[in-house]
Amino acid sequence: MACPNRSVDDVRTRRAPRADTGTAPGWALLRSMLWHQRRGLAIGMLVGLLWTAGKVAVPKLTSRAVDRAVLGGDSLLRWSAYIAAAGVVAGLFTGLRRWYAFRESRGTEMRLREQLFAHYQRLHVGYHDRTQTGQLMSRASSDLQQIQGFVVLIPLTASNLAMVVAVVVVLAVQQPLLTLIALAPLPLLNVLATRFSRKIHPAVLAVQVEQAQLATVVEEAVSGVRVIKGFGAEAVTAGRLRVEADDIRRESLKAARLRSAFLPALDLLPNVGLIAVLGLGGHRVIDGQMTRGELLEFMLYVGLLIFPLRNLGMTLAFGQRAAVALMRVNEVLATVPVVADPDSPVELPYSAAAGMAKGAVRFTDVSFGYDEDLTVLDHFDLSIAAGSSVALVGATGSGKSTVARLLLRFYDVGAGSVAIDGTDVRHLRLGDLRRAVAMVFEDTFLFHDSVAANIAFARPDAAPEEIERAARLAGAHDFIVGLPDGYATTLGERGFSLSGGQRQRVALARAIVADPRVLILDDATSAVDPSKEHEIREAMVTVMAGRTTIVIAHRAGTIALADMVVLLDEGRVAAIGTHQHLLDTDERYRAVLAALSAEENDDESDDENDDASDDPSDDASDDGVTRRAEARDVAR
Amino acid sequence: MWLGSAVSEEDKLDRADTGRVLRRSLQFAQPYRRSVFAALGLVALSTLCVVLGPVFVKFGIDRGIRRESAGALNLAVVGYVTVVVIGYCVGRLQYLAINRAGEGFLRDLRVAVFDRLQAQSMAFYDRNKAGVLVSRMTADIESMGELIQWGLLQFVAAGLLLVMTMILMTAISWQLTLVALAVLPLLIAASVRFQRQSNVAYLDVRERVGTNLSTLQEGIAGVRVIQAYHREDEQVRRFTQSNRALYRSHMRSVGVSTWYFGLVELAGIVAIALVVGVGGWLVHRRSVEFGSVAAFVLLLSNLFDPVQQLSQLYNTVQSAAASLHKLYGLMDAVPDVAEHPKPITLPSDGDLVAHGLSFTYASGDRPALNTVALTIVAGERLALVGPTGAGKSTLAKLLSRLYDPTHGHVSFGGVDLRVASLSSLRERIVVVPQEGFLFGGSILDNIRIARPSATDDEVAAALAAIGALDRFAEFPEGLATEVRERGSRLSAGERQLVSLARAALVDPAVLVLDEATSNLDPGTEAVVEQALERLMGERTVIVVAHRLSTVRRADRIAVVDHARLTEVGTHDELLAANGRYAALAHAWSRSQPTTGD
Repeated sequence: MACPNRSVDDVRTRRAPRADTGTAPGWALLRSMLWHQRRGLAIGMLVGLLWTAGKVAVPKLTSRAVDRAVLGGDSLLRWSAYIAAAGVVAGLFTGLRRWYAFRESRGTEMRLREQLFAHYQRLHVGYHDRTQTGQLMSRASSDLQQIQGFVVLIPLTASNLAMVVAVVVVLAVQQPLLTLIALAPLPLLNVLATRFSRKIHPAVLAVQVEQAQLATVVEEAVSGVRVIKGFGAEAVTAGRLRVEADDIRRESLKAARLRSAFLPALDLLPNVGLIAVLGLGGHRVIDGQMTRGELLEFMLYVGLLIFPLRNLGMTLAFGQRAAVALMRVNEVLATVPVVADPDSPVELPYSAAAGMAKGAVRFTDVSFGYDEDLTVLDHFDLSIAAGSSVALVGATGSGKSTVARLLLRFYDVGAGSVAIDGTDVRHLRLGDLRRAVAMVFEDTFLFHDSVAANIAFARPDAAPEEIERAARLAGAHDFIVGLPDGYATTLGERGFSLSGGQRQRVALARAIVADPRVLILDDATSAVDPSKEHEIREAMVTVMAGRTTIVIAHRAGTIALADMVVLLDEGRVAAIGTHQHLLDTDERYRAVLAALSAEENDDESDDENDDASDDPSDDASDDGVTRRAEARDVAR
Repeated sequence: MWLGSAVSEEDKLDRADTGRVLRRSLQFAQPYRRSVFAALGLVALSTLCVVLGPVFVKFGIDRGIRRESAGALNLAVVGYVTVVVIGYCVGRLQYLAINRAGEGFLRDLRVAVFDRLQAQSMAFYDRNKAGVLVSRMTADIESMGELIQWGLLQFVAAGLLLVMTMILMTAISWQLTLVALAVLPLLIAASVRFQRQSNVAYLDVRERVGTNLSTLQEGIAGVRVIQAYHREDEQVRRFTQSNRALYRSHMRSVGVSTWYFGLVELAGIVAIALVVGVGGWLVHRRSVEFGSVAAFVLLLSNLFDPVQQLSQLYNTVQSAAASLHKLYGLMDAVPDVAEHPKPITLPSDGDLVAHGLSFTYASGDRPALNTVALTIVAGERLALVGPTGAGKSTLAKLLSRLYDPTHGHVSFGGVDLRVASLSSLRERIVVVPQEGFLFGGSILDNIRIARPSATDDEVAAALAAIGALDRFAEFPEGLATEVRERGSRLSAGERQLVSLARAALVDPAVLVLDEATSNLDPGTEAVVEQALERLMGERTVIVVAHRLSTVRRADRIAVVDHARLTEVGTHDELLAANGRYAALAHAWSRSQPTTGD
């Protein structure tokens, strides 16, 4: 799971069919990125040209040295010094050429990744519901790697091209025919390298697919070890593993056959040029049409061209892969966040000083569905007075969680309006709205940071005393001081892991620090051992005091915390009243309660977790799954 | 191309370990020794072909051009062509040979490590993190794949090329050889330095890539909380930090190769200058022929390229050796629940008796279970209750020999479980795990995992026995329905039904149930309850109970507290005793909601 480069998701993403919108917008994205880096790229190319000059000079100087000094009477020392000087130039700039190429390509990668991340943060929740974490991860990792791999080749290829041109010109001036014959096989290098790159890529992907499948078998065997041991089913999984191991071997050997077909040929071709030079050039030397120095020069030049020509082939193949990656990255960046700040935002009326009502919530004739044809809320009306608390009760799929998400403006209503203290939430800045409304999620997401930072998540500048006060109110202080480093203990996937109840108390403390006008509690007792449930409830009572609170009740016991109960049925308010009143008067309420407590008698956990995966890191994305499950239920 | 891999200080092997890894690998490669030898021979031959090219150039210049003999020149050309063609053919074959051996080796390694993993007991899986085990089988072996595909070949070829070129040079002219080698010490020193620096740089890159990915993932997975608390900007700031750190780390590693590649380029050209300068002087003195000088100029790259390659490959080879060392370590771990050398088949029925069981986890210093004695009569239903961590699950695991006790023993029908054959043990006593874990494949496959020899009809019969056949037969593809990853196609209740059907397929005498704490919708709940009831039937049942309703259905209740068996008896007896169970039952009923009716 922690290895996103070769995860199953990754492979699936690459193979997933997608709408073909062409690569033009992707290239436009790259152009604009590169335009910002034009200075660095220009320097890189200039350095590359200097390198080319140094490299191209060496065979020429060697040839002169041979003819004039070794075979003639010139000073050997002087000519050797010339060659060495060319070596200094080439040596200095070969390093710099790489340095600049990488600086720019890593820069492109870094900036694109930051753009992607910032965009992920702004994209509406609806987008995240539909998109797997793994897909977004691979946009920002493997796709960017492909792009980086191409960008690094741009300045390198420019100087390589310059070298190819320079060498061809230098040689053609001296011996046009020999040049033609010596260099004739070399363009094939380019062709072969391109073809090889193109063919080996799918072969390598195929190996990765098989490796991912083997990884799945191993993961299953390790996480399902209880089943395997319980039934003594080792032979079954062992058989599966053999199949996958054989598949990997088969695909790897296919890739090896491709390599064996191409790589020796790539080594062979330059030699063909050398042989042509030796044979034809040799006869010309004998005939006196060419010097021995020139012969050596030709051979050195043929050798010089091997890498640039191979590299040109690689550039083409990488360019194609980069085009696909760019298209995918651009697709994400071009998605406009549906939920965004309004053009002319309204200030939320500030309360305490003016003595105005604080935290009044009103849903007016709200209709909403996650998918167009599935209505979750249907002409929904609800008014919650400032400072009062309300429990939303209803069967799975009745829309109670949706109410909370609309208030936070995770989604925009289809029709009607949601208002807080008389202001439509769509007229507020998102920041203002979300400072006014805080939600304690059913699954607590903890960040890889200290306990204190997790509690002070909403206000990182909160003083340690405030954090401790919040923790005490949420009933979390006692266990926190017992942690290895107290409030400084690092939590999260890679940190100290807390129990479900502890996590929820941290989440409550987080909401207390946020000090919102409206608090939404998505039943915080759901993942808690029944014997600990009352502790959480006590903490909840403290937090709710004097604050508008919406409790989404998954458990019958939580209902008692609220002043009023709102019974939801098929996206509408079916009844409102106190718990006792509804119990006495409403048949549907009794039915829903009975269902809740029937589940509860037998379950220690909560009813919406059915689809939750085993992976705790998926906590937040389960929201999406749950909601889709809700929508599905509604459709039935 | 550059910086392919690295190995951390603590993973580096000392000389003795390296020797052991090497010997073990050679043993392991035994079945492929013919391919290995063929590959080695082919590599030597193809290297020879590479080296011989410039020799024909020298021959052509000295014998052909200088003496103006067209015949000798033509001979040189023919010789060169022959060598190149042979080199090409040998090149193709060597790739195939090395890959055949290498991929075979990896395949066997995968199978061997996996088989060893599977032979381990539950205790082993408790000790070792799942992630680590999976990465041994995947990342560690895959990293060696790269080495085998091209690295090993290059390593051998580079070494051979270096040696052969030096021999050849010496044969042509010892004076020129000394000249050519003049820059080599500098190059070797630089390569050693580069190899160390790049190792450090790459380790840093690798670590930062990991950190950056975690931050990225956190930002995506936690986006709802982040947006709810309007912390987008803060998250972007944090990500930018780790992303910039990664960039700087990348650039540090590029910096390492910048000076090195520059130096290599410089050294190569300076060597040409030296050969031309000193060689020219020698030609003037008629100590060497010009053809030798030309051949040396062409041979120089054969001298410098291998040094460069070896220094880069060194890290790859080291990290592969470290991976192998870990894998062999895993293969050497002796399974602690193994079959007795002279196994006895368990009787088909009998009492399950715990004789003074004690058990201490390898990681713990206090016993998880302390001298527990208990007899479960054939056909009895026993509920194990107690606080979390008190030892009730451990007791269940010992009773089914998922672990072996530290002291005492368990017998079934009078036979010690440790001498029972594992196959008869798993037929008599079946553990149904609390979560219905599904493997990739169809519903049929998933049930059949309990008894691979079962026919489709037998699987259907097992489903029918628990009254769940109709539910699955209704699926469009019936029992052949693929369950997809972790059974995501099925509901939690359906996954539990599959789990129960597995047990029904085995038809054991004793069922050990770890009761589900997860959640079902009320409709399915009833179906699962029914299925469970039918499965339990007349069998002996031990259930680790979390719910009062389950406890009430048991014949007897055993309370495990602080690693000891504190109370055993019926519900009424224990309530009357007013001990630990009475308190627990009280807490249970208190947490029930007050629904008014």
